[in-house]
Amino acid sequence: MKFDMTLALADKPGQLLKALEPIAKNGGNIVSIIHERDKPVEGYVPVSLIVDFPSHENFRNAINDLRKIGIAIIKSEEVIKKVRLTFILIGSVDLRRVIESRIKNARIIGLEASTPRLNEVSVKLDIEAPAEMVNELIDELKKLSREQNAILISPIHF
Amino acid sequence: MRLLIIGFGFIGKELIRALRNKIDLLRSINEDFKIIGAADSRGYIYDEGGLNIERLSNINRLLEYGDYRSGRLAAELINRELCDIIVEATPTNIKDGEPGLTHIRLALSRGIHVVTPNKGPLVLAFRELTSLAEKNDCDLLYEGTVAGAIPIFSLVRECLRGDRIIRLSGILNGTTNYILSRMHFEETSFELALKEAQEKGIAERDPSYDIDGIDAACKIVILANALMGRNIKFEGVERTGIRGITQEAVGLAKKSGYAIKLIGTIDRRIEVAPKLVPINHPLCVHGTLNAVHIETDLAREITLVGYGAGKETVSAILNDIITVLKRRSRRREDN
Repeated sequence: MKFDMTLALADKPGQLLKALEPIAKNGGNIVSIIHERDKPVEGYVPVSLIVDFPSHENFRNAINDLRKIGIAIIKSEEVIKKVRLTFILIGSVDLRRVIESRIKNARIIGLEASTPRLNEVSVKLDIEAPAEMVNELIDELKKLSREQNAILISPIHF
Repeated sequence: MRLLIIGFGFIGKELIRALRNKIDLLRSINEDFKIIGAADSRGYIYDEGGLNIERLSNINRLLEYGDYRSGRLAAELINRELCDIIVEATPTNIKDGEPGLTHIRLALSRGIHVVTPNKGPLVLAFRELTSLAEKNDCDLLYEGTVAGAIPIFSLVRECLRGDRIIRLSGILNGTTNYILSRMHFEETSFELALKEAQEKGIAERDPSYDIDGIDAACKIVILANALMGRNIKFEGVERTGIRGITQEAVGLAKKSGYAIKLIGTIDRRIEVAPKLVPINHPLCVHGTLNAVHIETDLAREITLVGYGAGKETVSAILNDIITVLKRRSRRREDN
């Protein structure tokens, strides 16, 4: 699993090496490092790393070990592969119900509706969701559209 | 090889014309090839020496040929084993598959080869019929049942033998593709596009078979059973048609670079539903065209585009006839 970490390293020699040790010790495999030395902030240099850890536990242990040796962690989160999908709903859709229904880890990033007549809505939804949640997302949208007697048009091959 | 043609409608007549035009090709494969009979719903004509194919291709109704045995059934000719191959081209009926199902069953159980563009019997009894053909060592070929002239079955069987098909999808109904394409390009309403299709003879007066996705679902059943090792019935297809698709929805899709198409899909699901297809996707064809998209482990992605219904179907039927002639003529030589 890939994790996106940003560390604040003191701007003096040997800091990066010091930071990489707990990462390696916990099974972390460096995917990329961006060492932004031209942007020091109060004597600290931000270093962005993408690290592949075998498990969440390894990741947490690495974070703890980094903190123990006094390295500040500005950001640390799992990199989740996301996809953006477009859907269209047709019918007497209750837009509020659609927006409020919490589809796990999915975000509506765009919405466009056309309502030529009352109760006749055609709405386009752009949804961003984790790649592995796509099937669940579609099942959830199907359920929603059935409840509202609406037609769901999904993107092909998803 | 003695051919019996059952069904003297649009396809039957076009087939006869094609056979007349290509008779030399057929005779080069099988010297004795002849059409010994033709049947419609009210009777048949039969000549054990072979019908006059020129005369046959110039008539509009069978009884004009002369010597029309009215009130007699094609099943007789099959039962008496007076033919070696039948082309079963009666109108498709997915309620009980008749009269096609009876003709095909009878023929196969007598070891008579069957070539057919008739979906009904294959949707209702796929496994039964293919087992019957195997048991009696005869051919059952149905290239014309799905996407008319696109040789999907032949392609997969002859040219993708080492591949595992991961997904089959496609636009399998020309009528709904025509309607949705008009809505997309001309920005018309569904009702207007449907009316236009009916005026052009692309949609029937009762268009529900097409617009409710029934035709596409039948084809998905045959594809799933024949090419993906499934054993599904018509009811096993999750089906949504294009009734209720609005001009506004088509417009919203178009603005975002998609077209709405009625797509049949076989992967972990088996469904027919309107989908958003990127306008640049190879599957995104318009008018009455059909398209089949095959995803496999080795070849990755192949798309076939062509005409689905109408007289182009005769290409598929003729190829199936030639397949039978080649297979069975060769076997006779080996004896």
